[in-house]
Formats: sequence, C-alpha cells, structure tokens
Amino acid sequence: MAPVKVRAERLERRFGHLIAVAGVSFEVYEGEVFGLLGPNGAGKTTLVRMLSGVLAPSGGDAVVDGASVVREPERVKERIGYATQEASVYPFLTVRENLEFRAAMYLEGRALAAAVEDALARFGLAEAAGRRAGELSGGWRQRLSIAQAVVHRPRVAFLDEPTTGLDPLARRAVWELVYAEAERGMSALVTTHYMDEAERCHRVGLVYRGRLIALGTPQELKEAVRRRYRFFRVPGSDAEVWRARAGVVDAWQRGGAIRVVLAPDAPAPAGAAVEEPTMEDVFVLKIREEDADAHV
Amino acid sequence: MRTSRVRAVAKKEMLELRRDPILLRVIVVLPVAMLLLFGYAVNFNLRHIPLAVWDRANDRISQALVRELEKDGKFDVVYRVSGEDELKRLIDRQQARVGLELPPGMLERVRAGQGVKLTALVDGSDPTFAFQAQVGLQKAVGRLNARLVAARMLAGEAQPLPLALEPVLLYNPEGNTAAFMVPGIVGIILTQIAVILTGLAIVREKETRMLEALIATPVRPGELVLGKVLPYLFIAFVDALLVLWVGRVVFAVPMRGSLALLLGLVFLFVLGSLAVGIVVSARARTQIQAIFATLVYYLPSIFLSGLFFPIEGMPRALQAVTYLIPLRYFLEAARGVMLRGVGLDALLVPFAALALFTVLMLGLATLSFRKRLL
Repeated sequence: MAPVKVRAERLERRFGHLIAVAGVSFEVYEGEVFGLLGPNGAGKTTLVRMLSGVLAPSGGDAVVDGASVVREPERVKERIGYATQEASVYPFLTVRENLEFRAAMYLEGRALAAAVEDALARFGLAEAAGRRAGELSGGWRQRLSIAQAVVHRPRVAFLDEPTTGLDPLARRAVWELVYAEAERGMSALVTTHYMDEAERCHRVGLVYRGRLIALGTPQELKEAVRRRYRFFRVPGSDAEVWRARAGVVDAWQRGGAIRVVLAPDAPAPAGAAVEEPTMEDVFVLKIREEDADAHV
Repeated sequence: MRTSRVRAVAKKEMLELRRDPILLRVIVVLPVAMLLLFGYAVNFNLRHIPLAVWDRANDRISQALVRELEKDGKFDVVYRVSGEDELKRLIDRQQARVGLELPPGMLERVRAGQGVKLTALVDGSDPTFAFQAQVGLQKAVGRLNARLVAARMLAGEAQPLPLALEPVLLYNPEGNTAAFMVPGIVGIILTQIAVILTGLAIVREKETRMLEALIATPVRPGELVLGKVLPYLFIAFVDALLVLWVGRVVFAVPMRGSLALLLGLVFLFVLGSLAVGIVVSARARTQIQAIFATLVYYLPSIFLSGLFFPIEGMPRALQAVTYLIPLRYFLEAARGVMLRGVGLDALLVPFAALALFTVLMLGLATLSFRKRLL
C-alpha cells in the first residue's frame, strides 16, 4: 500500500447556520489521482480550501503531507500546490512571468529558473511562454493554471474544477497532464461535476450536501450499485409511465429508448436489454438514497 | 522575510501597472491634470470682476475713481448705465457682479470739504466673492482718498488721517493662490495614489480570486504587503516630485526650505496612507466597496485639512476632528517647509503626529492582513 499523503478526519465547516462540510473523512495515497465528484454547492470547494490551509475548519482536522491544516496551515502551504476554480493567471503577465511569479513564492535563484523551464516543457507551454495570459484560450489558460500549481513540484496538488468549461479535447489534455504528474509520485485531488471524469480517477469520493456519501474506485462504486439495482434499456418514449410502475426505481429518456432502473426483486420487463451501471447511475442513485434517508 | 518573494511581488505589480493602459494614465496624467486644474481654477485672488457704473457725476473725481478701480485689474467696467433699475438688472443676470452708483456733483462736494456717499451693490450669493469685491472697492477708494488728502495737505487745508494701516504679507506677498495650493495638491495626490491604488491593488486580486491562490502559497503577509507597497511608494515619490516641479515651472511655487526634509515628510505621509489602503483592502470584498471606503476617508481629509477652508473658521467640534486628519499635519508641515522655509525644529508637532499615524496604520495593516479566507 502506498503511503497516505492526505488524511481528512471528520472535517467540518459551518458558515453561520449553514453546514457546508459535515464531517468528511478520507485518505489520498501517494501517486493517486483522487476525484471529488459532486453537484455544484455540495461543498467540494470548501473542502479543498480547508485542505490547502486557506480556510480554517470548524471541526475535525486533516493532515497533508505530514502537516495539520488546523495547527500548522503555513506548513501545509509549503507542501502543496493549489489551482483555484477559475484559472488564477494574471492577464497582463506573460505565461513565463506568471510561472516565475508563482515559483518565486517557493523557490529562488537557479532552482527557480530551472523549475520554470521545466514546467514550460512539461506542460507544452514553451512556445506560448512570451504570450500574455489574457490572450490564451480557456484550455491553455487552464493548462497554465495547473502548471503554476505544480511548478515547484509539490507532493500534493489540489485542483478545483480544472476542466469546467473546457471542450472535450482540452479536458483530455488536462487529465493527461494530471496523470503525468501523478506518475512522478505526486498525489492529486481533483474536483469535478462531470460524471465521465470520475471514471478517469483512481478513486472517487462522492460529495453531496457536505457529506461524503460514497467512496471507492469507479469499479467498486459501480459494483455496489449493480448489487442493489438492475439496469435495462426498453424501447419507447414514455418514461413517466415507467416511473409509475411498481418495482421501478427510476426511468428516464436516453436517446431513442428509456433507461429503467429496477429494484433487485422486480421482474425484468419484456423485450428489455440488460445494461451496465455508469458513474451517472452511481451519482443519481446514491443521491436518491441519501435524500430518502434524510426524509426518514 | 524572504526578499526574493518581496521582489517577485513588487515586480509583478510593476509589470501589471506598466501594461495596464488605464492605470498608467491615472498615475501620470491625473496628478498633473489636478495640479493645473486646482492651480488655475482655485484662485481666491479674484481679478477682472465685472463692474457696472452709474456715473451721475461724470466729473474729475468720479473718473479718477473708475480709473483707480480698473488700475490693478481687479475690476473691469463692463457697463455704463443711467439708472438704478438697470444696475440691479445687470446684477440679477450676473452680467455684472458689482454695481457702483456715483452721486452727482462729486467734485463740488469734495472741494467744499463735504463727504460723498458712494453706493455699491455687491452680489453676496458667494461670500468669498463678496468679501473680495468689498476689499477691492475699499482699497480703490482708500487709494483715491489718500491722494485727495495728500493734495489738500499740500494746500495746507487738511490734517493726515489719524490711523493708517499697512499690512506686510510675509512668505507669499503676491497672494499667489497656487503657492498655497500646491502643497495641498501634493497631499491629495499622495492620498489618492497611496490609499486608493493600494486598496484596489489588493482587492483586485481578491475579486479575481487571485488572492486565494496567493495565500495558498508560503508567502508571508509581511512579504505580500511590502511587495505591494513598494511600487506605490516609488510611484507616489515620482508623482510628488512631478507635481512639485510642475508647480515650480507653471505657478512659480517657491521651495524655500529643505527639499530633503520635504521628501522625508512625503515618505512618512505616503507610508501611513499606504497602510490605510491596505487596511481598507483587507476589509473590502469588491473594488466598488474599496472605492467607497476610501472616499469616506478621502473627502473629510480634503475638507477638514485646511486645504480649502481655514481650520480657524470651523466650529469648535469640527476643529477637534481635524486633529485626526493626517492630511492636516502634512499640509501644515509642507507649507512650512515650502512657503516659510522653516526647519524640523518649527515642525515637530506635525512631524510627530504623522509619525504616530504611520506607525499605528502600519501596525493595523499587518494585523488586518490574514492568510485565511473569511
């Protein structure tokens, strides 16, 4: 088992009466790409802010690369890289100047210059080095933002929604860069609300209403859902009729057919094709269970 | 404190300033524009007041008085009228600001040793103007009186006037308003650059969420604050010198005291003002909030510092408030150095007050800057 680089223990954050994060515990291992999946407002950003030492937790603690976010946030900051939700680049500065500025917060002299050159090469930014960051497209700006976060080669990086608003090609490029860093032993915690991106992570934590409601590899999560539900595709366009039937957990239109989720004991509908659960199923069903529990 | 971080922050700030076309203009054009504006427009020394004359005497004395009024350019006779109604109408319409009625038979009455009563209608809607106009009228009449008395003394017909006052204006004998204003404009511009630009510099990072990325690095608050402050300290100095130079060339503002002492004063004042900017920016979340917060600081500074209105003329309670206005001390000291040419020994109180202000504000700035959100 790889060593633990991030250990969150019952992390909690309240804003007045609002509980943004309600006692979340998980671990991230060395070289792991850990995804935090959840809808907007679930508490992902609040979690990341606490883990990176910029927001004090109301309860619990997290140890990041050996430093406690409660007791020694400044030590945490020395060990991590953090890319905020909107790409934090200075539009009037060039790509190189942006990287130099961030690197100068950690390094100086020759080490600084070497780190900048290295980051330019690793992230394919060498040719754009002289361009103003404000002129970059969204994908390239995001690339620069991640390069800035890891320019000093941290052991742990927190990337808050690095792919939001990017086209599929740019998204793929971002994930390749994240994996390249993970190959070098860096642990990456990446937040996203894209289902398909969760599949790209080694492990995924599902965050909903400030709670971690599921945790595991994408395979494990899907397996857990498969054990509790059955998935079919039936022809037609009357999802509402299906939803009203006994034994049907959920049904929705998908392409020219209806996807039907059944309770394990319900009989399979005639003419239905068996389907595999997806991360979207995991997401929807887990949230449904959570809401049902909340109502009880 | 790692100097490489301070340098990186300062360098980044300078690059941003240099490449932001609007900010650059604010820094260079605004101070000079303000100086020219205040220097020319704010002039308490009124000249060429439009005067309407109803000369019912039209003799040597009345003509001599009109010449006396126009002599030093204080008044311009723009209308000659033949009735009181006309006089009033011209003032109503502001075509003339002062109307003068010269009664008939002035020469005869003066010869006979009788007094002549002159009536002047003065537009009193602006007290400063009315005061200046009255002084101008009295001076002209006084000069003519003196000549008439002198002539009659030669003829052995009269004694000199029992009392005669001749005030001697020290330091600014020409009543050059610009000389009085320039130290104040330096103060205003320094306040602007220091408080507003510094305030915006940090809030801008907050608004664009750059600050969150910054405070997630090991940079120390002191390093960040110092790196942010240094470029503006430099700019404020350049602006101060620019304004002093333009003031000297265009308005002939004197520099009687030590330039080094004045720059020391500028340094002290700017440092304190920069700290105010940081305190503001630590609290404000948006640039609009920061601008409003700085206005709350800036406007009383201007009006209660004695820049436009003498502090001596304010009600007691308000006078007490002026002791809390740093610009007041800056003005006191800057006018002392530039216009009166005095040294530090004569300016201990304002210097000490500014030093106290600066130390307090720097302390507050360091305390208010946190590396945590919320």
